[in-house]
Amino acid sequence: MKNNTYNTKALLIATALSIFMIALVFFGSRKLQNFDAALVTYLFGTVFAFFGIVYRYTVWLQRPPTWIYFKRGITYLITGKVFSHFWFATKESVENIAFQKFIYPRGKYRWVAHFMIAVGCTSAFLITIPLTFGWINFAMAPNTISVYEAYFFGFKVMDFNLDSITAFLTFHALNWSSYLVIFGSLYYLRRRLTNPGLIATQSFEGDLLPLILLIAISVTGLGLTYSYQFMKGFAFDFLAVLHAVTVIMFLIWIPFGKFFHIIQRPAQIGAHIYKKEGMKMGMVVCPHTGEEFATKLHIQDLKTVTEQLGFDFSHEDGTSHLDLSPEGKRSRLAQAHLKARLKGGNLFG
Amino acid sequence: MAKLPVAEENIVKHFGPTLNYAPKDGYVGRDEPDEAVKTHCCFCGMQCGIQLLVKENKVVGFEPWMEFPFNEGRLCPKGVQRYLQNNHPDRLMSPLKSVPGQGFVPVSWDDAMDKTVSEIKRIQEKYGNDAFSMLSGVSLTNEKSYLVGKFARVALKTKNLDYNGRLCMVSAGAGNKKAFGLDRASNNYSDLEYAEVIIVAGANISETFPTLTHWIWKARDRGAKIIVIDPRMIPLARTADIHLDVRPGTDSALYGAMLKYLVDHDMLDHEFIDNYTSGFQETIDAVKDYTLEWAEEVTGIDKNKIRQAAELWGKAKTSFLLHARGIEHHSKGVDNVLGCINLVLATGRIGRPYCGYGTITGQGNGQGGREHGHKCDQLPGNRDIENPEHRKYISEVWGINEKDMPGKGLSAYEIIEAIHRGEIKGLISICFNPLVSLPNSNYVREALEKLEYYVCIDFFLNETARHADIVLAGSLQEEEEGTTTSAEGRVIRIRQAVTPPGDARTDTSIILELAKRLGVKDKFTYENSESIFNELRVASKGGTADYYGITYQRIEDEMGVFWPCPEIGHPGTPRLWEDKKFKTPDGKAHFNPAPYKLPGEVTDADYPVILTTGRVVSQYLSGTQTRRIGKLVDQYPEPLLEIHPKLAQQYGIKQRELIKVSTRRGEGIFPANIVETIREDTVFIPYHWSGKKSANQLTPGTLDPISKIPEFKVCACHLEPLKEIAAPSNESTAYASV
Amino acid sequence: MNYTSFNKNEEFFVDMQRCIGCKACEMACAECETNGQESLIHVNYVDRASTVQTTVQVCMHCDDPVCANVCPADAISKDENGIVHTANTERCIGCSNCVMACPFGVPKKEESYDLMMKCTMCYDRTSIGKKPMCATVCPSGALFFGTRTEIEEMRPNSTPINTFIFGKEIVNTKVNIMMPKGSTELIIY
Repeated sequence: MKNNTYNTKALLIATALSIFMIALVFFGSRKLQNFDAALVTYLFGTVFAFFGIVYRYTVWLQRPPTWIYFKRGITYLITGKVFSHFWFATKESVENIAFQKFIYPRGKYRWVAHFMIAVGCTSAFLITIPLTFGWINFAMAPNTISVYEAYFFGFKVMDFNLDSITAFLTFHALNWSSYLVIFGSLYYLRRRLTNPGLIATQSFEGDLLPLILLIAISVTGLGLTYSYQFMKGFAFDFLAVLHAVTVIMFLIWIPFGKFFHIIQRPAQIGAHIYKKEGMKMGMVVCPHTGEEFATKLHIQDLKTVTEQLGFDFSHEDGTSHLDLSPEGKRSRLAQAHLKARLKGGNLFG
Repeated sequence: MAKLPVAEENIVKHFGPTLNYAPKDGYVGRDEPDEAVKTHCCFCGMQCGIQLLVKENKVVGFEPWMEFPFNEGRLCPKGVQRYLQNNHPDRLMSPLKSVPGQGFVPVSWDDAMDKTVSEIKRIQEKYGNDAFSMLSGVSLTNEKSYLVGKFARVALKTKNLDYNGRLCMVSAGAGNKKAFGLDRASNNYSDLEYAEVIIVAGANISETFPTLTHWIWKARDRGAKIIVIDPRMIPLARTADIHLDVRPGTDSALYGAMLKYLVDHDMLDHEFIDNYTSGFQETIDAVKDYTLEWAEEVTGIDKNKIRQAAELWGKAKTSFLLHARGIEHHSKGVDNVLGCINLVLATGRIGRPYCGYGTITGQGNGQGGREHGHKCDQLPGNRDIENPEHRKYISEVWGINEKDMPGKGLSAYEIIEAIHRGEIKGLISICFNPLVSLPNSNYVREALEKLEYYVCIDFFLNETARHADIVLAGSLQEEEEGTTTSAEGRVIRIRQAVTPPGDARTDTSIILELAKRLGVKDKFTYENSESIFNELRVASKGGTADYYGITYQRIEDEMGVFWPCPEIGHPGTPRLWEDKKFKTPDGKAHFNPAPYKLPGEVTDADYPVILTTGRVVSQYLSGTQTRRIGKLVDQYPEPLLEIHPKLAQQYGIKQRELIKVSTRRGEGIFPANIVETIREDTVFIPYHWSGKKSANQLTPGTLDPISKIPEFKVCACHLEPLKEIAAPSNESTAYASV
Repeated sequence: MNYTSFNKNEEFFVDMQRCIGCKACEMACAECETNGQESLIHVNYVDRASTVQTTVQVCMHCDDPVCANVCPADAISKDENGIVHTANTERCIGCSNCVMACPFGVPKKEESYDLMMKCTMCYDRTSIGKKPMCATVCPSGALFFGTRTEIEEMRPNSTPINTFIFGKEIVNTKVNIMMPKGSTELIIY
C-alpha cells in the first residue's frame, strides 16, 4: 500500500462539503433561531467528523482498486444499468445494510449483538444529529399546555400529547438506543477478551477502544436521564461533560477507526451489482482446471488495477498469470516446482 | 432373532451415522481446558501421541503432543478430528433393546444383563457351550483384550472367540511365527532412518499410516532408495525410485523372481544363511524357474524394473522391508509374507542397526490385542492354545482346571459361516462391525439374521449392532485407562480423559458384570485397569510376547517400553534378533518355500476385470467412528471406482458415470473416477462404507488356509456403465448408506 | 496485537513434492483459534486424472502483498513481523479482488460470510511462540516450521528460496519453498 501523507484533492472536496454543511446548519435552523446553543460543542465535533469522513472517503476512492469499482458504479448509474438491479439493490440494502444478514452465518449471537449496536447507533444518530444541527426542534403548541409539536427544518411534521405513548417513546428514544448499544457492546467486549484468536490479532485502539467508547457514551447518556429523573440532577454537570467528551471522541474517531465501516459498508452492494453485471458479460474459464471461476470483467479490471499499482503478471505470449483460477495458480506453482525438482535430479533433498 | 426391528432408514434416523462438526468458535472451554490429557490416537497402529483437551468431563479439542518420540506432534486428518467422536449426538447413552415394530428402546442395565445371561445359558444348555460365540476387536486396549480372552474361555466357556485382527495382519503373524517364531515387527521405525533401500509392499503408507511417511522421507533425505510395490500409483509411489505395479494376486511370483535373481547373482549373505537360518535350499528350489521373463508375464511388471529392484535390494548394505494388508489380504497371504521374509533372510539384513523388517499392523492395538487373548488359537503372551504347557500355565494364572480350558475355535469368518450353517446360535460382539468389514456382506447379513440371540457392546449403533437383540452402551477409547502396543511393539499408555456419558458404562465394567452374573465373580475381580495389566504381565511371562517387566510407571517414565521385556530391570527390546537367537524350536530363522499359486478367483469371460479394495486416508476401517465425523466424510464422501482411461474407453465409461460392478457374490453401483494411476486390468474400490455402498458386497470369503484371512485384495468383476452421471460427491449420503 | 513473543528465529518452509495429500493440515488449520473452524490452507490434486500429485499452499506473506494492494476496502494489512493478516471483518466488502489477484491462489472468499479469509500463519500460536497448526501436524514434512539451521541439517540437498517469478513480476515472500541446492528462484511458467 502506497501511503499518501496528504491529498490535495481530498482536502478541497472535504473543505467544500464541510462549508456546505455549515450552510445547511445555518439555514436548516432558520438562521440559528432553532439552534440549541448548549449543543455547540457537539456541532463542532460533528462538523469535524464530517470533514474527516469526506476526506478519508475521497482518499479511499482515489485508490486504483476502489476507483475502478466507483467508476463502474457511476457508469452503471449513468447508463441506467443500475435500475435493472433496482430490486436486487433494494433487497440487498435491506438484508445487508439494515439487517447485516452476512454476520448471521458467522455466529448467531454475533449477529444479534451487532444488530443491537447497529439499531442503537443508527437511531441515536438519526435523533441527535438533526437536533445538534437545529434541524429538529420541539415546541409547545400554541394555546395548549400538553401538546407538543415537532419541527424538521422548521416545518411542522407532527404533534403529540405529552402523556401519550408517542411522547414517552420519543423522549426516551435515546435511552432505548443506549440499552441496545450497551448489551451489544458488552457481548463483543466479552468475546474480544476471551477468544484467543481475537486476543492475538486485535489492537486496543482499533478494536477495544471503539467498544469502550460506545459503552461510555451510552452509560453517561443514561446517567444524564437518571440524574435529572431520579437523583434530582446529582452530578448532572459532570455527567454532561463526560458525555460530551465521549461523544466527541467517538465522532472524531469515525474517519480513522473502526466506525468508518458504517460509511464504507454500502460498497458491498456495489460489489454485488458489479458481479451480477459482470456475469452478464460472461465468465472466464481457468486454463488449468477448465472451470469457470470469475467474471471476465473482474479479471480484466484486475489486470488494469494491478498494472496501475505496479504489478505485471503478464507473460511474453500475452497471457497472464491472472488468467488462472486460484486452484489453477496453486497447481501451476506445484508443477513448476516439480519441474525444477526433476531438473535438479532428485525429488527429495 | 437378530433381524432389524424396524426399517433400516428409521434406525439411521435415530442413531446415525450423523455428521459431527465442531461449533464455529470451538466447544465451550476449549480455550481454558481443565486438563490436557497426554494419550494416543484411537485409530491406526501408529498410535500417535496426542493431547485431548478436557473441560467439565467433555473432550473439547486437541493439542499436538510434541514430546512423544514416534510422531512429535505430527498427526493425520483422522487424528486431528478424532476428538469429535466424543461429544457426539449418536453416542449410546443407555442399554437398548430391539423391539420389533418399535426399534431400539432404552432398557435398564439389570434387564439387559438378565436377558443376556439367561439367553447365554439357554443357548449353551440347548446347543452346547461352543454354540455361543464371541467376536472382538483390537481397538480395545491390552487390558480389555486380555479380559475378553479370559471372559470367553472362563465365563462363556466357549472355544469360538475370534477378533477383527483376523482381517488385519494375521497372515503376517503366521508368517513371522513360521520364520522367526515370534510375531512382531523386528525393528522400531527409527531404524528406517539410515536404511539404504526401503521396500514398501502392499502398504499405502501415506493414506493408511500417514505419520509413518515422516520416517520414510527422513531415510530418503539421507539418500535411501524407495521401492513401492502396489497395483496403484499411491502417493508414496509417485516419487518412489521404483514403482512395481504388480497385478493383484501375483505378489509371491515377484518375490520369488527377486529371490532367484539374488541367488543367480550371488547377492547373498552366506555367513548369515549358513549359521543362522534353515530351509534355504528348499526355498530356492521352489523358485528355480522364476525367471524375470516369467515374472513379467505373471505380475505384469516390466522385467527391467524387477531387475532394478532386485539389484538395489541385493547390493544394499542396510535396508528395511515393510508390508501391510496389500500382500496379506490374500488366500496365500502367508506365502506372500514368507516371500518377503525370504528376501530379508537371504541378504542377512536383520537384527542390526538400520536393517529391518516388519508388517505395519493396521489397528490401534492390532499388535498388543493379538498377543493377549482374543485370537481363536492363542493365549496371553502369544501362547498357543493347543500347547499343553501353555494351557497349563495360563490355567494356573486364571485359577481354572486345564481340562476346562476350551481348545482352538473358529476364526472370524468361519464363525459367520458356522452361524450361517446353524451351528452357532448366539453371539456377543464388542468393537467389531463385521457387516461392513467382512467380505461377502450379503452372506454375513443372512448369517446375522439366523442368530437366536445377539448382544453387542458398542458406543455407536453401527451397522452390525442394528441386528442385535440387546445393545450394551460401552465406552470410547478415551473413557478408560489402559495400554496399547503400537505397530513398532512399543507398549504405551492410554489415558482416561473423561468418564462415559449418561448411563453408558466402561467396557471393562460391562464384561466384569457379565462374568459375575455367569457365576465366575471370583476370577473377575479387579481393582482397576492397572490390576488387570498386572495379571496380564504374569500371564505373558515366559511367553514370546513377554510383558512382565513393563509397568504403568515405566511406560510413563520412558514414553513406552518395547516388548519382550521379561524383567523389571530389562530395558525392553526396540530391535529384535541382535543376538541372532530366533524363537523357533531350533533357534534359527526359517526360510520357507513360497511358490506362486493363483488367487482364489481369477478373471474369465463373465468377470473379466480384476477388482481390488483398500482404504482412503480420511476413513478408518468399517467407519463406525469416522463416518460420523463431518469433515472426514467431506474429504472423501463416497466410494469411487478407480479405473484406468484405457479400460474406461473399452467400456465407453465417462468420468463420474455410474458403474454397476458385479461379482459372483453381489453387485454395487459406484461413480467412476478415471485415472491413469491404476493398472489397466484392475479397478479399485475403497471399503469403508456400508449397505449398497459397501465394496464388501463384492469381495469373496476365500480364506488363507493358514491365517484364515479373507481375500479382500483380489477377485473378478464385471463392469456395466449405467449411462448416467452421478450427482456431485458433496451431495452423497454414502456415509449412512443402508 | 501481541508482538511480544513472536519467534523471529523460526521460519516457514514448504516442499510440496513431499505432500501426500492427506489433508491433516486442512483439518488442523480449522482448529486454529483465528479461523473459527474454517480451513484456510489449500490442498488440491494438481491433475488427478494423470497423477496423485497434490500441492499444499499456505499464505506466503509477500513483502509487498498484492492482496492488500488490490483491496478496495483497506481490509488487509501487514504487520511489523511481516505477517499479512486476514481481512478485517468490518471492512471487507467481499469483492474477491484479493482472491483473484493473489499469485499463489491463497485468499478464500467465504460466500456465506461475504468475507475473505486467509492464513495468518496461525497468529494466535506464532505470536505466543508456538508453531502453526498445519506445520505441527504435517506428517510428511511438506510443511515445516523451524529455524534455518534445523532445515539445513535436515535437508542438506535443498535450498530454501523466497523469490518467485510470475510472468514479469518478481514476488518476494516471508515463507520459503525448498528447491534443489543452489536455486535462487522459482519461475512459474
